Amino acid sequence: MQPTSSMNEEFLKKWQMGLQIFRPSIDNTSVHERKKAIKLSADVAMASLRKGTTCWSRALIEKTATEDNFLVRQMLSGIKAEALINKKLPKKIVCHRKIVRRSKKILRRKSKSASEEAAAKAKRLVKRRTQGLRNVVPGGELMSNDVLLLQETLDYIVSLQTQVNVMRSIVDAAEAEIDQR
Amino acid sequence: MLEGLVSQESLSLNSMDMSVLERLKWVHQQQQQLQQVVSHSSNNSPELLQILQFHGSNNDELLESSFSQFQMLGSGFGPNYNMGFGPPHECISRTSSCHMEPVDTMEVLLKTGEETRAIALKNKRKPEVKTREEQKTEKKIKVEAETESSMKGKSNMGNTEASSDTSKETSKGASENQKLDYIHVRARRGQATDRHSLAERARREKISKKMKYLQDIVPGCNKVTGKAGMLDEIINYVQCLQRQVEFLSMKLAVLNPELELAVEDVSVKQFQAYFANVVASKQSIMVDVPLFPLDQQGSLDLSAINPNQTTSIEAPSASWETQSQSLYNTSSLGFHY
Repeated sequence: MQPTSSMNEEFLKKWQMGLQIFRPSIDNTSVHERKKAIKLSADVAMASLRKGTTCWSRALIEKTATEDNFLVRQMLSGIKAEALINKKLPKKIVCHRKIVRRSKKILRRKSKSASEEAAAKAKRLVKRRTQGLRNVVPGGELMSNDVLLLQETLDYIVSLQTQVNVMRSIVDAAEAEIDQR
Repeated sequence: MLEGLVSQESLSLNSMDMSVLERLKWVHQQQQQLQQVVSHSSNNSPELLQILQFHGSNNDELLESSFSQFQMLGSGFGPNYNMGFGPPHECISRTSSCHMEPVDTMEVLLKTGEETRAIALKNKRKPEVKTREEQKTEKKIKVEAETESSMKGKSNMGNTEASSDTSKETSKGASENQKLDYIHVRARRGQATDRHSLAERARREKISKKMKYLQDIVPGCNKVTGKAGMLDEIINYVQCLQRQVEFLSMKLAVLNPELELAVEDVSVKQFQAYFANVVASKQSIMVDVPLFPLDQQGSLDLSAINPNQTTSIEAPSASWETQSQSLYNTSSLGFHY
């Protein structure tokens, strides 16, 4: 599933609306502030595209809210998606380290045949990678099973692609405009 | 050139009267088979068209209807090569100037040609023969009908092979019943049927399905096999996209100090045409800017960028380079796992 043109348009509109809210307080001349605002509004727009159906969108909005709650609230009200900020997230999966360590010790005492070891290594690799994926995808730690994680990843990747496409085209247009002058 | 062709026609007429009759019969057959063909639109095979035109020009009374049909076939012939049909057509080299039309007839003719060849070949399955013939003759032609028939042939082959090979697996794998809530899974021969393994198998198949989707969307993932490698690629891709977003937002912040993305709805369609190019080539198109007729339509209103800013942009750009580099460092550090 590739990002469709309608998705691009929607994202652009929402992003514009979000940025317009920010514009009145534009006397901050620092580049960092501006960049932060841009990225924030883009993220909020991207997440609101899904309208709270996916886990990562809710987690992303929560994350942005922790950075600048007031702004995010304003943006969401501007995009008319206030309900998103109040959505509940599933509980975080907490692993008590002692218990995990003990169980690992017990497991290691089992027999180690060659094929078993290879399979075990492969499993460990896969587990490590899925953990890495959970770190990267927003809200990954909250997803209980792998199936959900993969589904969310797919959705997240598509949304990221739309975001990148729209931003890149705007940047190119801006550069072209500058070049023409 | 026309005169030469005319002389050739007359020569062949005189020399091969018997073959003309044969040709007549053959073309008659084609006429009958014309009705059975499914319509496709595609390019055409050069020599067959030429053969038909040849015949049509020779035997106008009988083949006028078919000839008119064939005349509708598309133009743009490829090179002329031998199908071994019997009637001499090496001499034919003219191209017609016909309109494009769904080339049903082509498929019929090609199929009959394949059948004649199939008789000569022995000890081969028919679908195999068809695919091979098609591969030989259709190197330079992209006839959709034939690819379809070849696909069908291949799928038939695959089915027969599967049924012949796997003596162990008598029944097929899991099949989801859409009516009920339960997932009906048929156990393969020699595998456990208790609940846990069934559930696990269903889960594993779900995961593999999702991985296939991911493989389609993440570029470069088809070369790696196995879960771990693909997951690695996926992680890298997501990180790369996130970094791109940061970078682009920083760039926008520099280029667009007033944060004005005033774009009218009309220009969004231009964006769509632009997206395809941008996605294909990952470099920003700074040299050729034909896609954005800014002056003509005035649609993209980035008037926030005043001429004064050209000087002011250079100053922040220097600092921006260092800032972006530090950005990269921090972002790359932050993404360790």
